[in-house]
Amino acid sequence: MSNEYFWNLPSAGDGRYGNALSRRRGERLPNENPPIQSGVSDPRDDRFNYFDYLHQVARAAELSGFHGVHVDHDERGDESWIIAGYLARGTRRLKIIAEFSATWGSPVYAAKNAATFQRYTAGRFGWHLRPDEAEGRIAEFVQVAKGVLTTAPYSFKGRYFEVREGGFHGGLDHQPLPPVFLAGSDRAALEQSAKFADVHLHPVGSIQELKDRVTVLDQLAKEQGRVVRHAARLDLVARETEAEAQTVEATFLRQRLEASDPAVGTARVVGDYAQVARRLEAYQAVGVSTFILGAVPSLEEAYRVGAHVLPLLRGERSSAPSVSQPQTGASL
Amino acid sequence: MSIDIFWRLPTHGEPASHRSKTPNRWDLFPGYEGQHPGDSATGYSYVDYLAEIAHAAEISGFQGGLIPSFPMTDEPWVISSVLARETKTFRFMIPFQPGFLHPVVAARMTASLQRATGGRALYNIITGGGGPQQLWWGDTVAHDDRYARTTEFLDVVRGIWRGGPFTLKGKFYDVKDAGLPDPLSREEFPEIYFSGSSDAALASASKHADFYLTWLEPFAQLKEKFSRVREKTAALGRRIKCAVRVDIVARATEEEAWEEIRRGFESLDRQTVENFTGGPQAGTESIGAKRQAANRPKTINSYKDLIIEPNVWSGFALLRGGQTQGLVGSYEQVAERLDQLVALGTDAFILASTPHLEEAYRVGEEVLPLVRGQHLSVNPERVPNPSRDGAHPAKPAGSPRDLAAAG
Repeated sequence: MSNEYFWNLPSAGDGRYGNALSRRRGERLPNENPPIQSGVSDPRDDRFNYFDYLHQVARAAELSGFHGVHVDHDERGDESWIIAGYLARGTRRLKIIAEFSATWGSPVYAAKNAATFQRYTAGRFGWHLRPDEAEGRIAEFVQVAKGVLTTAPYSFKGRYFEVREGGFHGGLDHQPLPPVFLAGSDRAALEQSAKFADVHLHPVGSIQELKDRVTVLDQLAKEQGRVVRHAARLDLVARETEAEAQTVEATFLRQRLEASDPAVGTARVVGDYAQVARRLEAYQAVGVSTFILGAVPSLEEAYRVGAHVLPLLRGERSSAPSVSQPQTGASL
Repeated sequence: MSIDIFWRLPTHGEPASHRSKTPNRWDLFPGYEGQHPGDSATGYSYVDYLAEIAHAAEISGFQGGLIPSFPMTDEPWVISSVLARETKTFRFMIPFQPGFLHPVVAARMTASLQRATGGRALYNIITGGGGPQQLWWGDTVAHDDRYARTTEFLDVVRGIWRGGPFTLKGKFYDVKDAGLPDPLSREEFPEIYFSGSSDAALASASKHADFYLTWLEPFAQLKEKFSRVREKTAALGRRIKCAVRVDIVARATEEEAWEEIRRGFESLDRQTVENFTGGPQAGTESIGAKRQAANRPKTINSYKDLIIEPNVWSGFALLRGGQTQGLVGSYEQVAERLDQLVALGTDAFILASTPHLEEAYRVGEEVLPLVRGQHLSVNPERVPNPSRDGAHPAKPAGSPRDLAAAG
């Protein structure tokens, strides 16, 4: 299974430093001073905001060789579906995965919106349904959505959703299904993914734990006559040297604590480019083939990871030869 | 008081003219892809054509456009977010039924869309025609309950809009300490256009709507409807504005306009026309649809049988689905009728004509400049506006005689 690399778009904020989530690049928050003093004219007025920045990050991911972007769901941030649409026209081949919850609304409505996305992006849209406390709701949601996207008439009566004589016609009916990303670590989550996920997002702990879960899920999926891809979400601190990466990691950690940013809880890979690539290869060796990668700041780091890490994973030489290469992140 | 005039994005397909029912423009309408020799190779899709119309509408001076949603059409939330970056002033009017989307998600999507567009999103809240189609959407709630749900839905959206914390344990929704995060909470609340003709609808509209939106109906009937809506809202201590959706065929001469209708009508097969005659409408709970059907004659032999008032033709649904009544006439006549509608209480219009791209320019250039728009009934001794009136001094749109005739 060929590997795919997604870049994570933080819906709630991004900035240059470790407290990135408390900033929204391109946008001045109410508690922030004007970026330019009053003696200097600022033609921007309020014409730009964080959406303009997210557009730049998506472009960066496309230009740097990522297969797609993952628009995360963060209650503090903008809504992933709207961000996804906003990015659609400015990108040409990136897959756009929107993270959301099964409490979103009617799965018919979600499926119909997804069909429009597929039509307007030549099938580049995907779903990441975040874990849900209501037992079985995600399963029903995906089942109904896939049902109306593939079958007409389609009827369903479940615990959470009901449809009668549903299903799409006239161009909405033969759209590619959005690939469904589901997550979770317990047996129930793996069983659910075996039936309904195209990609399962594993929590990243030790290689051995990961390997065990991959084996279990592969077996469960096989029983369903299905194949499920394995994915991992990782934040990277990749630099030219390991020492530099460790310095950045320590600085970011301190800044995050100072800003009392809630812990993001995403696993981090810290090291020089080759070390980071080797770590990702170790995950690949136990079966992970889809990576949702992220780093602060998202724009500069998309170019960095695209230029220095992805080529190593493709078996190419890093396009980062010289020490004199400008190091955007090193300006800390 | 100035009125707002919107256009429409034809999500339901675009024939090349009113004379043709087949949605074949660019062959990009859902279901028609692949019939055009080049479309898959170009990488373009129907949204590229919708983008052209949105540009045409904003360049021609329209506020924006209604983006209709039906089972076979693309979805307006996606269209709006996709077109956000390449339009400047076009306002996206999103019709949706509250049952489709959780109100907290709806509020978040809307606030994000406001941020993505610089405050250009607005709602057309529809509560649903009911019948078998409601379960097609996966909606199990009954007609009158749906209006109660709409009210509660908008209670939640408004409740959390400024950041909350908002708690409501209602019949349909249960939210606790909910609120939009900053900076989503700093966006303008979207204007609400509200559709629905039943008593339950009016009660719900009275509480939340900025504009009460209706299809075009016979003028006297419309006037009566607007007074009823205004009365109901006044009783709640609110003020509501009224809006009308009107399909139009406007040409340099009246003859030319009717010729367009005649050719469209004569291309229809006999059965289609017979199915269209008045009488009870099966399979719908929509009061608006029933009101429209009641105005049709029992037999139809010519397009002229469907002329119910001067310049008002009630056969538009025959030419392309949707509402049945629209305006047909010269540029001056259509502008006069629009001004009559203003005089009887209309504050906003959603206009449409096929094909929407060329017609956006035509209507923007030929009709909109003739519309006075001022609310004559509210402000009878209005001061002439030199910038508007000066452009067409010889055309006193909406003469007193016409206004009297409109009831």
